[in-house]
Amino acid sequence: MDLLQRIEDTAIAENIRSSLWIFPTMETIHVLAIVLVVGSIARLDLRLAGLVARDRAISEVSSEMLPWTWASFTVATIFGLALFVGTPLRYVGTAFFDVKMILILLAGLNMLVFQYVTLKGANRWDRAPTPPMAVRVTGALSLAFWVSVILCGRLIGFV
Amino acid sequence: MLQEFSDWLSQSSLTALFSDTTLIETWLIIPVSQSLHILGVAIIMISVGMLNLQLLGIGVSRQNFGKLCGQLVPWIWAALALLFITGVVQTIAEPTRELMNITFRTKMVMLAITIAITALYQVQVRKDSKYWENSPEHRNLGRVLASVSLVLWVGILAAGRVIAYFGAIEQL
Repeated sequence: MDLLQRIEDTAIAENIRSSLWIFPTMETIHVLAIVLVVGSIARLDLRLAGLVARDRAISEVSSEMLPWTWASFTVATIFGLALFVGTPLRYVGTAFFDVKMILILLAGLNMLVFQYVTLKGANRWDRAPTPPMAVRVTGALSLAFWVSVILCGRLIGFV
Repeated sequence: MLQEFSDWLSQSSLTALFSDTTLIETWLIIPVSQSLHILGVAIIMISVGMLNLQLLGIGVSRQNFGKLCGQLVPWIWAALALLFITGVVQTIAEPTRELMNITFRTKMVMLAITIAITALYQVQVRKDSKYWENSPEHRNLGRVLASVSLVLWVGILAAGRVIAYFGAIEQL
């Protein structure tokens, strides 16, 4: 907690807190990045679940969407950190913030497992309109994680 | 007129229900509505992003614009319906904050323009799937519309976020 106090005492944190426009501007960029993360990953997730673009190869949809996901995730993280720096003590330890961070980790883990384990056998089901159960579950899980991340993010502002 | 409507709505029992933070209903309705609203924005932004970048010739999809339009525009309309419903819920909860706010009103004007542009994409593609590619005039018009649409959508998102901070009209 000492570290958080030290962050909160820095000049940068002080500037973020006292400015009328810095926080809203960073928040806007954070939200723009988040909607692009969720919009792009949702399209891939729904394809994995066999619900949209069933006539297109999964690898094609994935190479179309994932660059957006990663680029936007980077931006969302940078601006999320900037939002955090202003009042770190307000966030750490509150339920919705902690749960949000855990959910982002789980979503990332799910993505890594997909990329390095599930995708190994992809040539067998890349063009299948309805992929195998394991793949559909990965898509559904990812969608559930990201929707929950949004809900937690919104609730952080509510309490 | 908006002032009277806003005042009338503020006195309604629905507003009382949606804005009383001591009630469990409020705790469920408003954050859930806001989260659904953000999900709708996510669907819209990725869809208009892909469509407009395709028209600008820096597209990420291997499909042509007509095909992309057929796939994505129905999602845009569905997301707009979700955004309208959740937006109405949030406006009922806090009528003055939304209706009596310059940022909110600017957002609605920008929204009307982007909806018209999206409808135009769809109408022309239905008549001729290669419409936006088949002549230099159409391509140029497409680039102009795509630039305007992209800028306005980012503006709509930004306006939505900063209604909370800027633009309140002073009450007399």
